[in-house]
This record gives sequence, structure tokens and C-alpha cells, in this order.
Amino acid sequence: MTTVRIFFEKRGEAAYISLLDLQRVFHRLLKISGLPVWYTQGFNPHIYLSFSCPLSLGQESLCESCEVKTERETIDGAAWQAALQPLMPRGITITKVARAEEKVSAIAAAVYEVTMPLSSAPALEAYNAAPAAEVTKKTKRGQKALDLKAYLPRLDWQAEGEQLHFAVQLPCGSGEALNLNPALLMQYLQGLGGAPAWQCRVLRTHLYDQTGRDFA
Amino acid sequence: MAEFSPTFKEALSLVQKPGRYTGGEPGSIYKDKNKVDVRMAFCFPDTYEIGMSFLGEKILYDLLNRHENWWCERAFMPWTDMKEQMERLGIPLYCLESKDPLTAFDIVGFSLEYELCYTNVLAMLRLAGIPLRAADRDASWPLVIAGGPCVCNAEPVADFFDVMQLGEGEQMLQEICAVVERGKKQGWNKETLLLELAKIPGVYVPSFYDVAYLPDGRIESVTPNRPGVPARITKAIVKNMDDYEPPKNFVVPMVGTVQDRACVEVLRGCVRGCRFCQAGQIYRPFRERSPKLISDSARELCRTTGYDELSLMSLSTSDHSRLEEILDELNAWAEADHVSLALPSLRVDNFSQSLVEKTSKVRKSGLTFAAEAGTQRLRDVINKNVTWEQIERGCRIAFSEGYTSVKLYFMMGLPTETMEDIKGIADTAQKVVDLFYQIPDRPKGKSVQVTISVACFVPKPDTPFQFCAQDRRETLREKQKYLLSCVHSRKVKVNYHDSATSVLEGVFAKGDRRLGRVIETAFENGAFFDTWEEYFDYDRWMAAFEACGIDPDFYNYRAMATDEATPWDHLDVGVSHAHLVREYEKALRAETTQPCNRQCSGCGANKLLGGPCFDYSKDLF
Repeated sequence: MTTVRIFFEKRGEAAYISLLDLQRVFHRLLKISGLPVWYTQGFNPHIYLSFSCPLSLGQESLCESCEVKTERETIDGAAWQAALQPLMPRGITITKVARAEEKVSAIAAAVYEVTMPLSSAPALEAYNAAPAAEVTKKTKRGQKALDLKAYLPRLDWQAEGEQLHFAVQLPCGSGEALNLNPALLMQYLQGLGGAPAWQCRVLRTHLYDQTGRDFA
Repeated sequence: MAEFSPTFKEALSLVQKPGRYTGGEPGSIYKDKNKVDVRMAFCFPDTYEIGMSFLGEKILYDLLNRHENWWCERAFMPWTDMKEQMERLGIPLYCLESKDPLTAFDIVGFSLEYELCYTNVLAMLRLAGIPLRAADRDASWPLVIAGGPCVCNAEPVADFFDVMQLGEGEQMLQEICAVVERGKKQGWNKETLLLELAKIPGVYVPSFYDVAYLPDGRIESVTPNRPGVPARITKAIVKNMDDYEPPKNFVVPMVGTVQDRACVEVLRGCVRGCRFCQAGQIYRPFRERSPKLISDSARELCRTTGYDELSLMSLSTSDHSRLEEILDELNAWAEADHVSLALPSLRVDNFSQSLVEKTSKVRKSGLTFAAEAGTQRLRDVINKNVTWEQIERGCRIAFSEGYTSVKLYFMMGLPTETMEDIKGIADTAQKVVDLFYQIPDRPKGKSVQVTISVACFVPKPDTPFQFCAQDRRETLREKQKYLLSCVHSRKVKVNYHDSATSVLEGVFAKGDRRLGRVIETAFENGAFFDTWEEYFDYDRWMAAFEACGIDPDFYNYRAMATDEATPWDHLDVGVSHAHLVREYEKALRAETTQPCNRQCSGCGANKLLGGPCFDYSKDLF
């Protein structure tokens, strides 16, 4: 059994497809493609399909991925990509299909590029000047207080026309591992007078494994 | 891919399930708007989840978009949170494909599936900035049209539409688009356009007809006010179902919808002639699609959409004369393609062992039987030709096959109904429970659950019961209370609805043009999403009636004489008035009528085909 990882971009209209809906969409599109994906062997067989570190609704990404299985020994990634791309909803672009090299648990961090109106600059300065930035993270087991500054001591932003942008690296993991949603930062900045979320753009650009390489 | 404006993103960030408003679903059709001649906005006056479950829209979306120079797009009623944001941020109602506002379209078409969606039509026009009344729209506005079953009595909403379509849209809507295209190219004014449209079979232009009333409020006459306009509009139909291939692709919603599966229509019309049922009359005559076409297009549809569930759609699927053949054709590929079959509209009287086997290969869900009335006498009155023996046989098969829950549908408020009939509903449910425990090969160690769902009967136009008065709310409440007192088992669950929405449904079903003002008044006072219990406000409606000086009771609580002129007399669905009177009189004598495929009852709908519906010389059912 070979595990196959499908990498894709999720932008524009597709940013509003929730994980649950995305699973259903991929399930159908894989079925249409006729690719030799493996079905679970239960009473009600369905395609084995698992998404890694899904995004929040409204955020965009260049590096989403999901994995399926196949009984084939090898796969032709380019052929899979060519079979899937024409079926995809608007905003989803398949960037690569390849044999999975790592387990999802290898994911350690994600990089996001944030774009905000230039008027949010004072909020960023206030963040950089503050000794701590405490936020409350909701988890399945209740609420947890976190200091964002422990992960992001500074936000180094650059102005470009009416906008400013900066990149942040945040811990990202599945299961028990710590996962920090950039929405927490955006919320915190809004509290400091930054622009509301809908005037900002959050684009995930990289997923890294523990060694700091792109997740593969 | 679309880059959304900050305003649009703001709205999306503040609403539930924004995926309903962004479009981009697989199967959506995109064209270059500068290269098309006709743009149509197909509007469904309810939420995305309901509208995207509607097969009619998929059929017409497919047919219209096959024309290279026409582009049909979709719009739905935004849920209240999105409506509020669109109003606050000044986002006009738009179509999902191009995101262009409805005002950019040549045709804005609404599907009228039920009476209580009328206020949503007005809400959608208002959100788009389009004047509500046809009289206030000149040629610079889109042509606002309607179709769907409600058009068989279109009168309460006649003032809002330029054009209404009586009957099936496959041919008619394409002809409308063709005339609009011609009109655009030749620069017609609205009057010329409407006159040309009125020549299309099935097309009704409400402004071309004047209604005269008697002093007591009844209809005196409905007459055309232009030369050459037909006195009666005859319903348009597809004569041969095999002339139109079912759609081989759907726009596949990403947000979960009510009916999220592949559907293929197997037949149209119904042979049964249940006297309460409007669909059974207005979709006549009965026409079947051939098994091969059904199976081939269903397979193609499942392959292009990726759906793993296929529904066979019709008013009564088990009445297809070659159903077993259809199932054999489907089962030949369904399992290998990972597709499971569902047959939503089965009847107890021809529900067979092999049918259950052929449909329950994959998953067991609940079973539903429509008994409609609790006693044989009342079932005869309504011509629901189902006997207790048949219900018993159906349940017996189902229980032996491993089913443990059965749902039974009933109505209350039927003509001639007594408390004895109400008690009969509870008794029937109890007998089904008892039956379960008498069956030796019932599912072991499991209990049975019988759910009875009781709807309030609403007399509908073009049915033999159109002459009847609707039961008053107080009477219905008493009947509901009595029914509950008759149920003694915890294995029987009773579901019923408040009758307030049924009252309004009754008024609009049999209403006339004067009700347009009431609908508009209620809408201006905040009524929309009336089909949703949490937004329906009975008192607001009663206030609207009062403000307009109109007595709602006149429409639904008054029995009509069989020779009374009706508001819908000029809209001919094929079934003759004489047939309705004959059936009504038989009902009062509790006499039944044979289904059409056994014996023709002479309803008149065969004139739409131009010949008999069945070959009665052959062996029939």
C-alpha cells in the first residue's frame, strides 16, 4: 500500500469551503477521476482520505495537502495531477501529487503571510513594544492562556502602497501538538486598533517539519 | 478565481456557512458575459440548501446553458444574517457564477414551488433593487418571470410578474429566451415583447387579463384585454419524456444540502388520482422515460458528479410499468461504481419483496408509507386506494428484511372527516406495532418505532377538493388533541405541525389578484422566510389582511359551489372542470376511481398528448 499526498492551493472562492465540505468535495472528485484510490473495507466502503492541518474558514493557502492510499507500488504524480485539476472547484489548484515521504505528525510549523491596511501600523508597533501579548486559546478541553510574544517576539512589517505585510511562523501540528491559528494574532491586533479580519488577508505559504524543511 | 472585495469579505466573515454565497462549485457554468446574447438569473426563493436540492433548476440550467449564446446563472434567498449584511453594506442580490447583480440580467426567473415563498420573491427583488410590481418596470428592467406548480393559480402574485409559465419549462423557457433574444436585437418595447411572448404555448402574461368581481367578492370573469391573446392558457408539456435527456451533470454543492445526491426523473404525472393531491392532477398526463435512457444518463451523471447515491425521482416511482427493468439496468453497474440506490416514492400496494432486495443492497434507512387517512371509508373518500391488508403486507416484508422503524404519513382536516377517522390514525399505528411482535423473523432484540406524521389538509385548486372549505384552526387543534389522547404506546411517536401556516397556504392556494396587496403589505411589515417557523408571524399576516380590508376566511373557509367561477379558470392544466366535479361527487359518496393505467376516467389531460395516455388494449396493471 502506498500513501499518496496531494498538495494544493486553496484561494479565492475556495477559502470559504470548510474542512467538512472539502472532504466531501475531494471524496467525490477522487471518485470521478477514476484514479486507483483505496477504499476502506468496511460495511460501507469509502475512499480513505485525510487532510493535514486544515485552515480556518476565510484564510488562504499555497500549501494544503491531503493523503489517500493506493495499492499500486508507484504512482505517476503528473498524471494524477492532470486527472484531478480539471475537476476541482474554483480556487483549488493542485500543485503536486507524490508518494508521501513523511507522516502528518512530522508537521511542526506553518508560515503565514499577512496583508493588512497600512492604517494598522500603529497596532503592530504597539505589539512590538508590549512586554507580553496574552491571548486565550479555546481547546477541546477548555480555555488556555498563551503569550503570543513567546512565539512571535516581533512583527517585522513592510509597507507597500496602502497595504503592509509581514510573515509569521507559528507552531502547527496535529493531534496533541500545539497549533496556533493566526486568527488569534489578528484578533489581538484588532484589539490594539488594527484592522478587522475582513480587511486583512492571511495566506499560508509553508508547512515545515521538525527539521525546518517543507513537509513532504 | 475571484478576488473578493473587502465589503464582500466583511459580509462573508459575519455570516454562518459563507460557502452558500461564494459559488465556485464543480459543475458551475461560466461564460464570457460580453459574448452572450441572453443572460438569465434563475432564482430560487428559499435558501441555498433547499434550492440546490431542486431537480427542476438542474434540468433547466443544463438546457439553457447548452445554447452557447445564453448564460443561465443561479441566485438564492440569502439567510437572514446574510440578508442583513447585504442590506447594511449595500451589496445587491447577485448570481453565484458571475457575481453580477440581478439588474445586469435580461431575465430574472423565479421558481414558485409553494405558496409561502411569495414574500421571499419580493425580498429577493427588493435586495436586487428591482421594483416589485410589473407595472412599475419598463423595458430597462429585467423581465421578471415565474414558473412552477403555483402558477396553476398564479393570481395572488400576478401583479409582480411580467410573464408566468403554466406547465413544464423544457420547451417553454427556451422559447422565452429565444423571443427575448430577438426582442433585444430588434429593440422592441415591453408591450411588443409581451405580445410576442404571449404567443408561446403555456405563457401567461397577467397584465393582459382583466378580472371582474361580483358584488359579494366572487369572480365574475377573467378576460383578455388585448386582441389575439388567448382566453385560456393551456399548460405546456413535454409529450415524450425520451425527447429530453435527463441532465448528465449537476452543479454539485460543496455546502451540505437537503438532497445532496444524483437524481434522475423516471416518470412525470401520476396515475392514482388521489383527490387531495394537486401534483397528481396538474402534472397529468402520465409519461414514462425508458429504462435504458434512465440508466445510461444516471450512470453518466454519477460519473461526472462523483455522487455515490442515486435517487429515482417521480410522484410515484413504483408505478413505472418497467420499474424492475430499470432496477436491473441500474444494478448492473451501481455496485461496481460504488453507487447506492434510493427510491423515495414507493407505494405500499405494489411494494414487493424483490423491490426491497433490489434497493436495500447497500444501506438500510427508514421506510415511509403514506396511508393519508386512518379509516378505509375516508381513504375511499380521498381515493387513496390503499387497504390495511396492503399496509400490513408492506410492513411485514419490511420487518422481515430487518427494518425496525416505519413512518406513516396522514392528513387531518380532510372532507367528511369525523373523530372516528382521527382515532383510526392511532389505531393503524398501534396495529403496525402489534404486527412487528407477531412476526417470527423480526429483527431480534430490537424494538419497533412507528412514527406518525400528521399534516393539515389544504384544499388546492385543480383538485376535486378545490370546492371544499378548509378546517378551521380550532377544529384542527381539537383533532390533534384527540389524536394524542388515542395513542397509548411509547412505540408510537406523533408529529404534527401548527396549523397557522396551513391557513395561509389555503388562502393563497385559492386566492385571487386582490391578495397581491396583502402579500406586499405583509412583506413591507417584515414578512419573509414564511416557510420557516421561526420567522412566520401569523399576527403580522392577519394585520396585513385587515389593513387591506380583505377577509382571508372568504378564500379558505368558504365552500365553493361547483359552478362558481374560480380565479384560475383561465389557466388550463388539462384536467377538465367536469372531471373535478364528477370526482368530488364520487368522493362524497365514498366511491373510488381506478388508476389511469387500469381504466381511463376521462379527466381530459390526454388532449395535451393528442391521444390516449395508455394502450388499453394491452395487459395493464
